Amino acid sequence: MIFKLAYKNIIGAGLRTWLNIFILSLSYFAIIALQGFFVGWQDDASREMKNWYIAGGQYWQESYDPYDPYTLEDSHGPIPEELQKLISKGEAISILISPATIYPEGRMRNIVLKGIDPKQDLIELPTKYLTDPNGEINCIIGSGFADNMNIKEGDFIVLRWRDKNGVYDARDIKVAHIFFTTVISVENNQIWIALDALQEMLNLPGEATIIPVKDELYKMEFSGWQHKDLAFLLLDLTNLIKTKTIGSSIMYVLLLFLAVLAIFDTQILSIFHRRKEMGTLMALGMTRSKIIQMFTLEGVLHAVLAILMGAVYGIPLLNHFQKVGMQLGANAKEWGLSGLDDALYPVYGWKLVLGTVILVLVTITIVSFLPTRKIAKLKPTDALRGKMTK
Amino acid sequence: MFKFLAKGLLRDRTRSFFPILIIASGVMLTVLVYSWMSGFSVMLIYESARFKTGHVKIVTNAYNELIDQKPYDLGLMNVDDKIETLSSEYPDVHWQPRIYFGGLLDLPDEKGETLSQGEVIGFGVDLFTDSFEHDLLNLEEALTAGSLPTKNGEILISQEIADKLDINIHDVVTIIGSTMYGSMAMDNFTVSGMILFGVQAMDRGAIIVDISDVRSFLDMENSASEILGFLPTYNETKTFEISTAFNETYFDEDDEFSEIMIPLRTQGQMEYLIATLEGYMTSFIFVFIFIMSLVLWNSGLMKGIRLYGEVGVRLAIGESKGHIYRSLIYESILIGIAATIIGTSIGLVFSYLLQYHGINIGSMMKDSQMIMGATMRAQVTPVSYYIGFIPGVIASVIGAMISGVGIYRRNTAQLFKELET
Amino acid sequence: MKKLLIFILILFCTLVFAELPDGNKLLKQIDENMYAKNMISTSQMIVHGRRSSRTMKLRSWTEGDDRSFSEYLAPPRDAGTKMLKLKDKLWIYNPSADRIIQISGHMLRQSMMGSDISYEDMMEENELTEVYSAVTTGEEIFNDVNCWKLELTAIVEDAPYHTKKVWIDKEKLIPLKEERYGKSGKLLKTTEILEVMKIEGRWYPKRMIFKDILKKGKGTEFIIDDIQFDVNIPESRFSKAALRK
Repeated sequence: MIFKLAYKNIIGAGLRTWLNIFILSLSYFAIIALQGFFVGWQDDASREMKNWYIAGGQYWQESYDPYDPYTLEDSHGPIPEELQKLISKGEAISILISPATIYPEGRMRNIVLKGIDPKQDLIELPTKYLTDPNGEINCIIGSGFADNMNIKEGDFIVLRWRDKNGVYDARDIKVAHIFFTTVISVENNQIWIALDALQEMLNLPGEATIIPVKDELYKMEFSGWQHKDLAFLLLDLTNLIKTKTIGSSIMYVLLLFLAVLAIFDTQILSIFHRRKEMGTLMALGMTRSKIIQMFTLEGVLHAVLAILMGAVYGIPLLNHFQKVGMQLGANAKEWGLSGLDDALYPVYGWKLVLGTVILVLVTITIVSFLPTRKIAKLKPTDALRGKMTK
Repeated sequence: MFKFLAKGLLRDRTRSFFPILIIASGVMLTVLVYSWMSGFSVMLIYESARFKTGHVKIVTNAYNELIDQKPYDLGLMNVDDKIETLSSEYPDVHWQPRIYFGGLLDLPDEKGETLSQGEVIGFGVDLFTDSFEHDLLNLEEALTAGSLPTKNGEILISQEIADKLDINIHDVVTIIGSTMYGSMAMDNFTVSGMILFGVQAMDRGAIIVDISDVRSFLDMENSASEILGFLPTYNETKTFEISTAFNETYFDEDDEFSEIMIPLRTQGQMEYLIATLEGYMTSFIFVFIFIMSLVLWNSGLMKGIRLYGEVGVRLAIGESKGHIYRSLIYESILIGIAATIIGTSIGLVFSYLLQYHGINIGSMMKDSQMIMGATMRAQVTPVSYYIGFIPGVIASVIGAMISGVGIYRRNTAQLFKELET
Repeated sequence: MKKLLIFILILFCTLVFAELPDGNKLLKQIDENMYAKNMISTSQMIVHGRRSSRTMKLRSWTEGDDRSFSEYLAPPRDAGTKMLKLKDKLWIYNPSADRIIQISGHMLRQSMMGSDISYEDMMEENELTEVYSAVTTGEEIFNDVNCWKLELTAIVEDAPYHTKKVWIDKEKLIPLKEERYGKSGKLLKTTEILEVMKIEGRWYPKRMIFKDILKKGKGTEFIIDDIQFDVNIPESRFSKAALRK
């Protein structure tokens, strides 16, 4: 009975109610849409990073430090037997890393040379281009680095290196393919060539610097190698997205605040305006708590109807976003945000949707209830005469 | 009439308090969000200008071809004369020579043997002639320990480097690099302070050295990597005008050491960055103002019920419907303006707060090549001052106008009945 | 005319089929000629830059393969810079910083004083016979001088260059031109001797050009003004203390 009454009451208020409901529905929509983008970003970026480089975790030769070019020359070791088995099963790949020099426009530039098995299919790096039918040493490089160096596909670049004994060698290697990636860790200042070629060049057969493995749960210990799990390898990304999420939550906190303010104002007004109605209801035998329930319910109904209204335009819109993604343009990674593709595809989990609905409902229930406490003190006689009991 | 209405508003709290509260908060949020958003692109330009691009930049033709590698051996020569000419040609533009160089920082032990070593990126900027670079690079604020250099031979190093190599204030460190001609350059400098810019690309390994020190260190007397030009305030059209005029006079494609001027927007990826950012900001602000207008429109609608009884009485005592309607609209205009002024003022206060004390959004841009601050700031622009009027006055008045139409539907015959109950 | 042609043809054939001297023997002769137990020299290094050329003067003390010491005398900016090489270690002293820094890692790959010679190249001056085995592949005229052409292949694992081609003056037994190759056969550096001189009974290069083939530029010229062989060099010369003196 209360439900029916409350429903009729708010629908009867017409445009005002619908505006309130619309604003509330926008809150739902904005929260889910924004959060969806961040979840999508996190998912996208970690997936990209896993797909392109880190797989299910990596083993690092113990002296390897990606931020220290000085130790690079000595960061290699024989591959542990257990890992070698995984590699032959295709569940791990070995990557050998060495410093080298290239000469773009005749100027020396130090770079990082990475060797990887051309036949691997554990990570997305287009390594198939590394085999050359004519016996050239092929290399692949990222498009950002290629632009920076003015290198085009099919160009030859002069590569000079020293093997483990310090013997110089240099070759013209062919840029077989320029790949686009959002993962800066596989493109920044580096050149990829075939693993066996690099092992031969450095005179380091059977050695590697890092070994990405497929299985996230694989955590065996090997001496001379350190296991780095996903949490470690994705730490920078996770932290970045966390700060971004907090930054953007300001937006929908503001929006929700506005919606709450509107509901609160509506409640106060309607309680003030409908004293006589309350008096009548009391006179007819309705208890105060029932009346409080009814008024609170009216407020909450806004939020419930907002779910429906939000669903009407929200679901198709969110679906649309999911399909087309948020276009960032081809140079999205110029923002320095690793893992951002040219479009960002949001992800909406049921946890997110349910969480949002509960958050809004609880908030609205509270603000709908607060003004109704006045009713508790209301005397039916005063109410009937249109007075507020002080 | 306005005086009468204003008195009414002041004396009857219910009729002014809530509407003003709501409109003012809405306006405040609009102003804040707008300033916050403007902060993004102004910051992008500002950060880029002060560290990297200037508003315009002069380099040699050969340098420009390898600009990503900052080859100071292909830098500008006779810089003093150049700046003098430029200053007379463009009196309102400030010209600042800079030298960027890479080097090795070496900390000795008591015997002079290497204790620790690390790669650094040197910024040779003019620290002593005036305080222009101090202000531009915000050195006072960036200082985390020690003090700014006061004399030649003193340098600032990034806090991260100091931590990594275990360097303390007043330590004497050796910087090793190579001169403009490729000879080995080595010199000792006293660390006078540590700095933290909140810009990852800088904090990883920057050292700041007075340009005169760098010039003698790198054998670059009267030379510079780049000359950056700064307008009093950034003005894109003007940067293009100046550059075009300059290049017509000085640039010669066939001379590898002729000078070329490049405006900020066409340097590197700035064009793309600014355009995308502006696109997103504009649409975001548009959506936000739309929603805010809905909220305030609704608050205008509420007026209808709030004043239901009063309007009844006024009709009963014979006031014409049109008069009541007009007075309601005037009233909502008064409320709208008052609330907008209040909201805008509070919004501006918060915006200015956010402009001077940014919010640190973290330090997780290790892989980032872009120079972008980790501290986000708002930016108050002239638009911040009036943008609140759109939702604050226009939307709320429209709300009042729609709800006020209800007056014309009221039946005079029923008025007394309504009043009786 | 016809006769002349036939004569040249016969001469050419004889040259091709003439028995070539043993490469390793030649190499040994070069070492004997070029190699002195110790020497002191004064020389000039001319670096051709993109904008201008610079001449540096330096004085060097060398003992065998392992020990050398050099001091820059000019230009004023570089004067007082000293380098000490002991086996596989290299230290550099700079007067303006008054510091001795060991050059290692990354820095070894940098060019020395802007020249086409890297610090790494400095470290690698061994007797040819210790490192390479040679085959004489023919004779050629280089700069109007009759030369034997030798191909050198490394016999030790850590030779910095896997192969070298050397043009040796048949009479004076000094290598007039040298090409250094990587293992894969890519030309990396060249040295050409443009002028020779006779000192204390042996022929020695006077003016030469080093060129890093991978780098853009005109190479680095090296002129020996004065050289003394087999002089006594006090032990203290090859100490880190000498760097600071």
